[in-house]
Amino acid sequence: MTQRALITGVGGQDGTYLTHLLLEKGYEVWGVPGPYPGLFDSLLAQNPGRVFSLDADMKDMASLIAAVEAARPDEVYNFAAQSSVGVSWTDALATTEVNAVGVLRLLEALRELAPEARFFQAASAEMFGNAAEMPQREITPLHPRSPYAASKTYAFHIVGSYRDSYQMYASNGIMFNHESPLRGLQFVTRKVTDGAARIKLGLADELRLGNLDAKRDWGFAGDYVEAMWLMLQQDAPDDYVVASGEVHTVRELCEAAFSRLDLDYERYVKVDPRFFRPIDVNIFYGDPSKARRVLGWEPKVAFRELVQMMVDADMERLSEPSSPTK
Amino acid sequence: MLIVLSHPRSIGTTVTKRALITGITGQDGSYLAELLLDKGYEVFGLIRRAATPSTERIDHILDRITLCVGEMTDQTSLIDAMDTSRADEVYNLAAQSFVADSWTVPLSTGDVDGLGVARLLEAVRRVNPDARFYQAATSEMYGKVHEVPQTETTPFHPRSPYGVAKVYGYFITLNYRESYNLHASNGILFNHESPRRGLEFVTRKITDHVARIKLGQITELRLGNLDSKRDWGFAGDYVEGMWRILQHDQPGDYVLATGETHTVQEFVAEAFARVGLDWQEFVTVDPRLVRPAEVELLLGDPAKAKRELGWEPKVTFQGLVDMMVDADMERVAQEVAFRNAAQ
Repeated sequence: MTQRALITGVGGQDGTYLTHLLLEKGYEVWGVPGPYPGLFDSLLAQNPGRVFSLDADMKDMASLIAAVEAARPDEVYNFAAQSSVGVSWTDALATTEVNAVGVLRLLEALRELAPEARFFQAASAEMFGNAAEMPQREITPLHPRSPYAASKTYAFHIVGSYRDSYQMYASNGIMFNHESPLRGLQFVTRKVTDGAARIKLGLADELRLGNLDAKRDWGFAGDYVEAMWLMLQQDAPDDYVVASGEVHTVRELCEAAFSRLDLDYERYVKVDPRFFRPIDVNIFYGDPSKARRVLGWEPKVAFRELVQMMVDADMERLSEPSSPTK
Repeated sequence: MLIVLSHPRSIGTTVTKRALITGITGQDGSYLAELLLDKGYEVFGLIRRAATPSTERIDHILDRITLCVGEMTDQTSLIDAMDTSRADEVYNLAAQSFVADSWTVPLSTGDVDGLGVARLLEAVRRVNPDARFYQAATSEMYGKVHEVPQTETTPFHPRSPYGVAKVYGYFITLNYRESYNLHASNGILFNHESPRRGLEFVTRKITDHVARIKLGQITELRLGNLDSKRDWGFAGDYVEGMWRILQHDQPGDYVLATGETHTVQEFVAEAFARVGLDWQEFVTVDPRLVRPAEVELLLGDPAKAKRELGWEPKVTFQGLVDMMVDADMERVAQEVAFRNAAQ
């Protein structure tokens, strides 16, 4: 029988990669695009009878009940979120409504209508905040430092609570940074690869960045959605860190991106103190050994390859005659 | 010399402090209101609009406090309460506080106990960012405990929708302190009881039943797990801890606990002994009363509160049980007398 998956936030980077993965595996995909449909509209048009669109809002219980009723899902992947840490300061309440209480609403809808469905929650490394240990594991204490992180911590705990109390198959993927050509331009990886391509094409002559020594654990989104799928194929639900297990600096990112285009990053990258974060002491560095051991998951795309993939995609996009130059 | 009269409270040698208490009709709210009135505060309480407000715990002080109608789910009402009270200290005690009900009403528990804290912090930040803020955090945040006893640095592992919402309330309070420099503090309170505890809580259920059994009204007390252990203190002592937290120069997070645990069975034995009965003749264990996910050994270490705030609980375990039994004996005896008089 065809497996049916319900994906919220399907228009984003992860939703798009996961939809591709599940279609390859023969799933029917029921997507909730929400306010940002992204590439979902074209996936919908290209896959009649296999991809379906649902209107639902994480703030509206009745709409989630209706979505679960329509999709009758075997698996549910929750990506819907207000995903900007910065915005969460100016909009703490709306962030929490969607990212925290929204997850509880979805769990309640599943408990009522599809208690056998398997549930994946996109948890975030931001929950570790002022991390108590390096690298961070599934048992590292949480110390969220923003309303965004606090809302994700609520969701993480409520998923665990529903798993324990109702024996629901509900798992958290504690996702470290994962990038791709579909990453938003406000993220530093895309900002660098897009900036390098623009300089190469003569569309810009410099790239202004904040702290070049900031370190991150970056992986490829296409690999990470495979870990999510594997998490729902196990005998028992559990929580997993999904990370590359390596950290690189923004400087290394620049070097990899510019050298792909035979450019010397030091000539073009300018450090602009305005881009320094007020507090940037957090090093997110994940230990994915549990996912390796239990799920047999292994990221396939290494750091350099990832950066090159993103640079190549930005070069192609910006070289197209019709491409917007701004 | 010019005397500014626009703020009459500033005339004289002392300035009256003003406090806003949410959840003022509850056990802790009523004890805290009494404490603050004794200290000369002007006390404001947030109360939910209802045809018949349940004010029985504050009826005796209603003429000395000001009530503001509002709800933790309504942002505007919280801003209005801050405007009206012009509070120097805000105590957030409002909550859906019964763990078992949080499985039945998880969404409203999240809305009130979690998001409600963020709404109130927003109101404080907008109206009076210099006000000091107290958040009633709870030992239920430790849930599946990572260490015994629990301290301010023990990781949280909540096991109920109530515990999850309270962890959010804790962290958002911490966030507002770190990001906006609010004087915002968490009191991580372990179980605290009193004659004003709600009847749905096991301690009050026991003392109420003991009184009814002693006075011949009923013959049995049904309980869940008798081996459950809790760290029980007296609510009157704990509200003093809350007040001390807000008098400290720096905001912080503090465990308020007795540092001792007792089993439900010890509570039962002491309560029956107080009225000269043997508990084993009356208590039945009912498996239906066992929680879906029981928390493990909750035992708090109040060393930080003692060291930094000079706080210590005064009422002992036995003193607490006896106080509660005596109060229920008096109340049930009155009920019986009224009923007999009416017949």
